[in-house]
Order: sequence, then C-alpha cells, then structure tokens
Amino acid sequence: MRKYLLIVPAVVVLLVFLVIPYIDIIFISLHPAADDRPYGSGFTLRNYVQVLTDGYLVHQTAMTLWIGLVTTCATLVLGFPVAWFMAHSSARARAIQQGIVLMPLLVGIVVRSYGWTVILGNNGILNRLARDIGLTRSVLPLMYNSLGIVIALTHVFLPFMILPIFGTIRSLDPALFLAGRSLGASPAITMRRVILPLTMPGIQSGCVLVFILSVSAYVTPMLIGGMRVKTMPMTVVNTLIDAFQWPFGAAQALVLSAIGALIVLVFFRLTPLRWSR
Amino acid sequence: MNMPRLLPVLCCAVYFFLLAPILVVVLASFNAGAFLTFPPQGLSLRWYRTFFHNAVFLRAFIESMEIAVAATSISAVIGTMAALFSMRTTPALANIVRLGMTLPLVLPEVLTAIGLLFFFYAMGIGVHYSVALLVGHVLLTLPFIYINVSTSLRSFDPSWELAARSLGASPFVTFYRVTMPLMKSGLTSGCLFGFIVSFDAFSTSFLLKDVGTATLPIQLFDYLRLNFTPEAAAVSTFSIIVTFLIVIMTKTIFGIRFTK
Repeated sequence: MRKYLLIVPAVVVLLVFLVIPYIDIIFISLHPAADDRPYGSGFTLRNYVQVLTDGYLVHQTAMTLWIGLVTTCATLVLGFPVAWFMAHSSARARAIQQGIVLMPLLVGIVVRSYGWTVILGNNGILNRLARDIGLTRSVLPLMYNSLGIVIALTHVFLPFMILPIFGTIRSLDPALFLAGRSLGASPAITMRRVILPLTMPGIQSGCVLVFILSVSAYVTPMLIGGMRVKTMPMTVVNTLIDAFQWPFGAAQALVLSAIGALIVLVFFRLTPLRWSR
Repeated sequence: MNMPRLLPVLCCAVYFFLLAPILVVVLASFNAGAFLTFPPQGLSLRWYRTFFHNAVFLRAFIESMEIAVAATSISAVIGTMAALFSMRTTPALANIVRLGMTLPLVLPEVLTAIGLLFFFYAMGIGVHYSVALLVGHVLLTLPFIYINVSTSLRSFDPSWELAARSLGASPFVTFYRVTMPLMKSGLTSGCLFGFIVSFDAFSTSFLLKDVGTATLPIQLFDYLRLNFTPEAAAVSTFSIIVTFLIVIMTKTIFGIRFTK
C-alpha cells in the first residue's frame, strides 16, 4: 500500500490546481458582476446570454474559429508531405530534417512572432522586396490582418502537425505503398485508400493539437494583428485583466472552449467513417 | 510519377519557411542602424551592448531562469513519483494516471491560467510572491517530465527492485543503484523539455505574474508593442543562444539522445 504514497503529490497538485480552478471558472461564470468585488452573489445565466447574443462577440468567435480551421488545414497540407518525405529519407538526412522541424520549438513564441513582424510588416522584408523589383507600388497588406495571423500561426504550430504524422508513417510497412501500386492502383488512389486511413491517428492528433493551440493563441494574433484584428483570447484577457469583469470573461472563455471542443468531437466522429472504406 | 520529383523541392521550401523568421531575427540583431531594416546597414554589436546595460531585460532574464529552474525541479519530483507509481500499478490505473498527467498539456493554456488566477485570488494570495506563477509553470512542465520518465521506464520490471532488496540493499540504495540509472535519460530529457517550455512560456506568465515583475518573453512582448529598435532582436537572439547552450550542455553532460 506504500506505493500509493508515490501518486499522492501528483493527485493533490492536479486536483487543487487544475480540477478545482476549472470548476471555479464555471462557478464564477454563473455569477452576476459586482462593482466592488470580482463577482456578486446569486446565480445567473446572463453572462452566457450576453456572449451568445452580442453580435460583435459572435463575429469574433467565428473569426477565431475560422483562423483556427484555416491554420489547421494549412499545417496539414504543408505538414503531411514533409512528414512523408522525412520518413522516407536516409537515417542521416532524417536526423537533419528532424532537427530543422524541432528547432523552432526551442525558440520562444514571442521571438518567432516577432520574426514574422519583421518579414510581413508594412516596411518589412517582403514589402521591400516587392517594391524593389517593381511588383507593386503600394504596400502589400500582409500584416494587421487575418492573412498575416494565419501565416504566422501556421509557422508556429507546423511542428505539432509534422511530428505525430511522421510517427505514424514511420510505423507503416514501406511495402504497403508498392503493394497498392502493384495491384493496379494509381499513386493518388493508393495514397487515399491505403496510406491516408493508416496514418489517420497521426493526422487526427496533429489536427486536434494545432486547432486547440491556434484557437487559444494569444501572442501571435496580438503581435501580427496589431489590435486591428481581434481574436477571442485577446478579448477574454481584456475583459478579465483590464475591465476586471470576471464572470463575463469566464463565460467568454468557456463558450469558446465549448465550441472548440464540439468541433474536435465532430472531427473525430467524421474522420474515421470517411476514410475507413 | 511526378510527385516524388516535386516533393524534395516542396520540403526544402517548408524548411526554409520554418527557419526564416528565426534567421531574420538573428541577422537583424547585428544591425548597426537604429531601425530594423533588412538587409542590415552594417554589422555591429551595439544592440547587445544596449541590452546588457538594460537592467529591465536582465532582471526579466533572471526571473525567467529562476522560475524555470524552480518549476522544473518541483515537477521533476512529482512527475517522477507518478511515473514510478504507474510502473507498479494495474494497467487500468496507470492509464488513468497517464490521462491525468497529460491533462495540462491538452487543456488550453489561457484557460488554465485564468482558473489559477481566480483560484489564487479566492485564496487571498492573488499573484503576490510569484506563488501563482510558480504553480502555473509546474503545471506546464509536469506532463513533459511524466511522459519522458515513464517512457524510459517502459521496460522496467518491479521485480528488479525486489531482487535488489532481497539481496540486502536498503530502499535508498535500491533506488539509487537500480531504478535511477534506468530512468536517468528520461528524467534528463524531461527536465530539458520542461525547462525550455517554462523559459518560453507566455500566456501563463502573462496572467499570473506578480505586479511589477516580468519574465523575459513578457518583457520582450511589452517592449515590442511600443518599440521597433533592433534591441528586441538582440534580446531574442540572446534567449535563443541560452536555450541552445542548455540543450548542448545537457547533451554533452548526460549524453542523452533525442530519438523521438
């Protein structure tokens, strides 16, 4: 029985600092606001009604989820070929490529987003280049919009897509692709009917990770969007820290998380059915 | 088969895309000019000099290091104990432990930080004394320690410990001579990952930091909202170099290999 002592600290930490705080968020979101305290007494659903009926917030939530979806698709489209190529390289080439994919993860998210402001800014590298070669005379709108945010988020979260897919492709038998081909299937058909279903677990975990991370991203949209594009995490932080409206902020955060979780669930239900035949 | 011919080209483009912003920051930090221009107007270390004389950034750097070391150390103890428990219990229970320990990784960081913020205010501590900040960073680092240690202990058989005990070794000697060597590589890479995650963490620090203090990413973020001098690039490059030095040092001292 002494072995149970080993798990006590972990259980205490997770219970006290994770489970209770999450319950607390739900609890606070059901309270009315108060002027002199973080929240007033009595239960109310008004915060939720307010989040779901405020046109501005609804639009912003939709925008945040849209940015998340586009980022997920972009990382998948770029990440799958790279994972495939990496898995089929020689051991040495693979090690180098793994290094390149892992390296951005060692660099902080603020630094990487800052790098993108230098590249995408109105006076940034791409705009100067475009001006110098006479491509355009006006400023290309690469930053301060959702395009810039998606580009930077794709960069920031691409490794989280590549690594799980790479893992599943590595565990496949290389002969599978040849088998499909020798049975008369075109490369495209082999890819769709054999390889994709088998790599689905990696694709799923990659997509879910990237989606959750990009929907709850704060730094990148803040630095690239420059307050001109607002995503929900920015509004939530504003409501909580600057406006000090805890119940309303909690409701905003929970609505976004709930819709995000719902999309993840729908994605899990749709994907295996679609590909398993 | 046109696809395989195009594939290396596409991959090289993606690798360039992955590295470009990092290279740009590093190159911009050596810019002699007062503004961020590219290509740089002459090479200089002046922005590094500015940075090393900037007490605000240096204090933030030390704060980041302290938090990362403290959080990783606490997580190392708790996470390792949980991993050792998983080895000794039924597969069903071990699975629940694994789910619980990876939970902080799956939940949105901002939401967890908000929860902790509410919680510590309710406790009457608020964000004072960096307690909330430390707890937030422990939650961030814990999954990495647990995953790495339990992976390295996957082939571990609890009967080895029993064998050592029956041969007369004390529990301490058994742990030190049998269990510890087996999980050393996992613990080292877990601590390394944890340290880097904590050192670079933003949302948790942003919401839970004590008034008047800041970690390096926070300070950099604040600076970037108002300034555009290459000093930010020098600070960024410095933090990149610190991270890489720590990775290389850990690698040479403990000889770990990154297999996955």
